[in-house]
Amino acid sequence: MILNKYFLSVFFTACFTLNSFTQENKALVEPDSSEVLNEVLITATRTKRQLSALPLPAQIINKETIQQSGAMRLGDILAEQTGLITVPDFGGGEGIQMQGLDSQYILILVDGVPLVGRSAGTLDLNRISVGNIQQIEIVKGASSSLYGSDALGGVVNIITETPKKDWHGTLNYRTGTLNTHDLSLNTTYRNDKLKLSLFGNRYSSSGYDLTPQNALQTVEPFSNYTAQVKLAYSFSTATTASLSTRYYSQNQDYKASESLQGESNIEEWNAHFKLNHQFNSAWSSSLELYATQYQTDEYLNDIADAALTSNGFYDQRLLRPELRVRYQPNTQEAFIAGTGYNHETLSRTDFSESPTFNSAYVYLQYDATYFEKLNVIAGGRLDTHNVYATQFSPKVALRYPISNSIAIKTSVGRGFKAPAFRQLYFDFTNATVGYTVLGYQAVPTALAAMQERGEIANILIPVSSFDDELKPESSINLNLGVDYSFSKRLTFSLNVFRNSLTNLIDTRIIATKTNGQSVFSYTNINESYTQGLEFNFTANAIKNLNISGGYQLLYAKDKQAEAAFEAGQIYARSAANSPAFALQKSDYFGLYNRSRHSANLKLFYNIPQYRMNANLRATYRSKYGLSDTNGNGYLDRYDRFVSGYGILDFALTKNLGKHLQVGVGVDNLLDFTDAQNITNVPGRLLFGKLNYQF
Amino acid sequence: MMNIFKSLTAVSLVLALSSCSSDDDTAAPLEELESETVTNLYAPEIGGRVEPSSGDFTKFDFETGSETTSETDWDVAFRSTTILVNGGSKTGITDEPERTADAAVYIASGTLASITEVDTSLFAQDTTEGPAIAIGSGNGWYNYTGEPYHLIKPIPGTILVFRTSEGKYAKVEILSYYENAPEEPDGLSDATPYYTFDYVYQPNEGITTF
Repeated sequence: MILNKYFLSVFFTACFTLNSFTQENKALVEPDSSEVLNEVLITATRTKRQLSALPLPAQIINKETIQQSGAMRLGDILAEQTGLITVPDFGGGEGIQMQGLDSQYILILVDGVPLVGRSAGTLDLNRISVGNIQQIEIVKGASSSLYGSDALGGVVNIITETPKKDWHGTLNYRTGTLNTHDLSLNTTYRNDKLKLSLFGNRYSSSGYDLTPQNALQTVEPFSNYTAQVKLAYSFSTATTASLSTRYYSQNQDYKASESLQGESNIEEWNAHFKLNHQFNSAWSSSLELYATQYQTDEYLNDIADAALTSNGFYDQRLLRPELRVRYQPNTQEAFIAGTGYNHETLSRTDFSESPTFNSAYVYLQYDATYFEKLNVIAGGRLDTHNVYATQFSPKVALRYPISNSIAIKTSVGRGFKAPAFRQLYFDFTNATVGYTVLGYQAVPTALAAMQERGEIANILIPVSSFDDELKPESSINLNLGVDYSFSKRLTFSLNVFRNSLTNLIDTRIIATKTNGQSVFSYTNINESYTQGLEFNFTANAIKNLNISGGYQLLYAKDKQAEAAFEAGQIYARSAANSPAFALQKSDYFGLYNRSRHSANLKLFYNIPQYRMNANLRATYRSKYGLSDTNGNGYLDRYDRFVSGYGILDFALTKNLGKHLQVGVGVDNLLDFTDAQNITNVPGRLLFGKLNYQF
Repeated sequence: MMNIFKSLTAVSLVLALSSCSSDDDTAAPLEELESETVTNLYAPEIGGRVEPSSGDFTKFDFETGSETTSETDWDVAFRSTTILVNGGSKTGITDEPERTADAAVYIASGTLASITEVDTSLFAQDTTEGPAIAIGSGNGWYNYTGEPYHLIKPIPGTILVFRTSEGKYAKVEILSYYENAPEEPDGLSDATPYYTFDYVYQPNEGITTF
């Protein structure tokens, strides 16, 4: 609360001060002749803004790049971007890590509305086909001032294609190693009144096995389908309505052992209705209604006696009406205000109840240009909630072009992440090991029930301490960047970032059981930070050759851990059976799964005389630790690390005639694998693809 | 079976002290510190995991430096990852031994060599709330690494300082929970619970230094 008040005052002071010198005339979107610099994105401000003039660290991946890379799923293409790391989850899922913050802090949107359904916080990027993507917009840093919970670390927004005039269609097919087939059909139609898009995708693979010595595959065979229909109608030049719906379904083999086998199914749909109206040159509004459901169902059968051994389900729903109003009194100022309501439910196995989250919110953003040059964005959002305290998330961003070639930009904002359903309502006992995990709200009832059954040996944390509510995790995000264009052909950007996180939710032992195991629950304990810098460049120095690359330096550390190392309280052993010795502060490596260095380099070469494009893409991440291996509870230099590694991809496309493009490629050319630690890299993949436009 | 290596015999206060106090001929010469390594002290449980654990604790006596079945003359007892001390009261778990003496323990942070003095104010005994050495990963003497290695690792820097049943002192560093204390134990295939620990025993009454 103290934090909030402080920020409120800073925020309003800033707004007030800036308001007092409003003059000058300057378009919000600076006209620019360069093609690359003309890219426009909507995610950063909820209105169209030119990427190059934005005061926030952001990035766009366009359709051409996606197509030329031969990417099939969202994870394929995100993994090649600076500062984005894809992290494997159990069973073949992949989450995104951004500015050192993991998947649970990154909001994933499709056409501006969120995907739900996370497994232990991870939203699986492989759920999203790239077949009908116009562009992917990435905004780094806390974005809760517009998007509320989960946008603590950043936002990835997938913008699907908008139809061009008349009928158009694209058929895409890629096949390759692992019996992978990816087939997409995208049809669009547009006339003066109507816009229609139809998209269908089927993606299947036999999966792969990095550990042939055991009965389970690393990724079991699967097939999935995506369908999306978008319909928009203009009633007049001022009023348009659109309806979009998306459906996704996946079926995958599910095995726990040689004898325990079953299936796991995912089904997901969403519907998004939007009504836009332009009242006059200054006022416009959007009314939206969004509904989505994500459900999974999995079972295991014992083959020997044909008995059902386990059955799990997960069913999450979100309903969200939202009203947005835009007011642009002149060309140099724009206000966006929005209000909405989230109604969210989850019903799943191992839950103490079927909880409901209700949250009303309101946000306001002011975007203006002063002195012809200085762009200021100031905004804030208030989220009320039925389970945790009201959250206020302010943000201020500035950009100032010092000259035609150099601009500096900075942003400060607060981000938050509400406690997840599982952190509140989980009631789970591991069947093989015997430990129990209870959600924060579930503790009093569940613990009493366990006591009654005689399962509790000792209660270590008094139950009364669960009377206070679990607080949302929050962060203060700071970015400071410089954009430098040496020429139109050579540009650099540098961004220094820091995220200071508080009230991080972690598990602790609250009671011991008579079987010698523990009862865990969640609590706000840790404070940590991620900080570093990101550097990007693009160079078109040689005709037809586009070189781009980037590097991220990252320090991600727990503050208490740092203090403990500094105080000389942490010890390690050189071998598992040898006596311990004291460690220094410099021996602390940081949080798990964070690489200090990551980099990428991409070469796209056009060969116009053959109508070909060849590209070579390299990504690298330096060593990282997945767990504490020497028993002191921290990741230090004497732990076992996953070695740094690089992935090299190659793709070649050629246009044949007017409509047809064929391609071949190799993903992971060097056939890198690490069976024990890296489950989302399957080894070398050869592929062929064709793209037919009509 | 358990092996005891009467390995190193420590440098001692004896020589130093006796030389300083050479004019006091009546004082009995101090006994030397005993530095020992115990290997493969087997402390199995019955049940565990989803079942409540039970079974006799494996008891150890610092004075003799060996495992004992005595109901009264023991200092510390092990079963699976649980460690009890012969002082205080029963914690309430199945098949635990009666506390017959006034032994106590605390956890000090350091290396076996760096803990040179006993802080008697820190001693704790088993209570109905639980053992003096808290059970569970990260609470007492070990960390469980979880996926993917599933290892029980003695927390480096954890020294258990004991007051024995006879009111003398000992300090212990647990080195391994696995049979034959492998350099790189395999959490899934190496046998447990086989305690290997180094200890230093101060055999002289009333002396709180090591």
